[in-house]
Amino acid sequence: MAVNWKTLFPYEIFEPNWRFWSFVGLLVVGFWALVSFPVAEYAGYIDPFYSPTILIVPLPGLFRLTCYAYRKDYHRHLFKHPLGCSNADRGDSGKRHYTGEKNGLFQLENLHRYFLYAGIAILPFFYYDFYHSLVFSGSFELRVGSLVLLANALLLTAWTGSCHAFRHLTGGNIDCYSCVTAGGARKAFYERQSWLNRYHEALAWVSLLTIFFADLYIRGLAAGLPLDFTLVKL
Amino acid sequence: MIETLGVTGEGPKEKRVVRLKIKRGGGRGTTPPHYDTFEVPREDGMVVLNAVHYIQSHLDPSLAVRWNCKAGRCGSCSAEINGRPQLMCKTRVDSIDGDITIEPMQAFPHLRDLVTDVTANWKVAAMIPPFTPMADAGDTFTFYQTDVDRSREFRRCIECFLCMDVCHVVREHEADYIGPRWVVKAASLDMHPMDGLNRSKFMKDAGGLGFCNITKCCQEICPEHIVITDDAIIPEKERVVDRHYDPILWVYRHLRGEAKADETK
Repeated sequence: MAVNWKTLFPYEIFEPNWRFWSFVGLLVVGFWALVSFPVAEYAGYIDPFYSPTILIVPLPGLFRLTCYAYRKDYHRHLFKHPLGCSNADRGDSGKRHYTGEKNGLFQLENLHRYFLYAGIAILPFFYYDFYHSLVFSGSFELRVGSLVLLANALLLTAWTGSCHAFRHLTGGNIDCYSCVTAGGARKAFYERQSWLNRYHEALAWVSLLTIFFADLYIRGLAAGLPLDFTLVKL
Repeated sequence: MIETLGVTGEGPKEKRVVRLKIKRGGGRGTTPPHYDTFEVPREDGMVVLNAVHYIQSHLDPSLAVRWNCKAGRCGSCSAEINGRPQLMCKTRVDSIDGDITIEPMQAFPHLRDLVTDVTANWKVAAMIPPFTPMADAGDTFTFYQTDVDRSREFRRCIECFLCMDVCHVVREHEADYIGPRWVVKAASLDMHPMDGLNRSKFMKDAGGLGFCNITKCCQEICPEHIVITDDAIIPEKERVVDRHYDPILWVYRHLRGEAKADETK
């Protein structure tokens, strides 16, 4: 029998309001942790914030800030334009000045695709971190932490791969698939990517959560918590 | 005023009747805006439009409401049911707990009772650059099903204008934004394999696409389940970026001498 995976979690987790404030909470706690107790690497696990270097964190940060999923959340829950779709949620949106994404810093959102390029360029480092954690001890050793890093890499790939700008650049900008080279394959890719794109909002949240979880896990190990054990050793 | 007729049967009253609070008068009518409450016998499978019809035929024939097919195909019976824009013929009474409040769509000028004037939409429709075949399309242009799959989704639109009603830009701000229904229309033309126009300049300037902030209410309420934001608005925004914001593509077009050819694909 097919299981609806959403029923496995409290409903509130998928509420946009909850999601938005969890982003804010994670960012505040994460920033505090990064400044207070920097842990770049421990026992072969490279912290995702330091992969490849903490100096590039603004790039994935801007990738998230200009992401269509996050835009929905902060326009609704930070700027309240509007808070929700029914009358009860519209609040005072009408009385406040509104220019949408046309003016000021909001125009940066039009450069989302460039932050996507940066995001794609960073992705291989997360897979390298997984590999590094496997061979760190000199022989092949699969530990729980390696699986945490792998899950992080896969979810970041899924989130990046479900991006709307990626969808446009890999097939959405073609109007006649039968007129272009390899049109059938490009349409097939576009359709599969469109399927993934439907989960973009959920992936945006889950992938951010796994970065923080991986970071917290490595911090826990550095603090001496007995969280890690070897699964396979060759 | 509470009007009831023909409410009979066993069991508690709230199980046997539907209480509807309907916005009356206003607009160009002679009565000031107010709410009337009606009680209508509840029936299995009843939709809100059935209850409104019951009021018209048994309780108050002066109730003005626009409807046509009663099957979710014509897009006439749009209203705000308990504050949420919905089709009255597709909203089941048993899906709502408690009283049902019905109001006209607030994004459009109010005429009377539940009827609004949606004429402004046809003026916007006339602004959109029409379908223009490519210059080299020839007498016979062959395209395949795979090429029209995307624009077909947008042809499902029944023009109920619920998306226009729920859009906060159209409804609450005096912005020059054509609204979700018309972005869907422009997208259906842009994504047609035979169309030769690039509407991104129109969408950026006269269309006011930058006013949309991706809050996806239009997509949430569309009764035809058109994925308005993800499939039409965001791709149109990305096309505007291609032509007007992407610095590398801007240099590329200048080097190829295509900078002036803004209006064609």
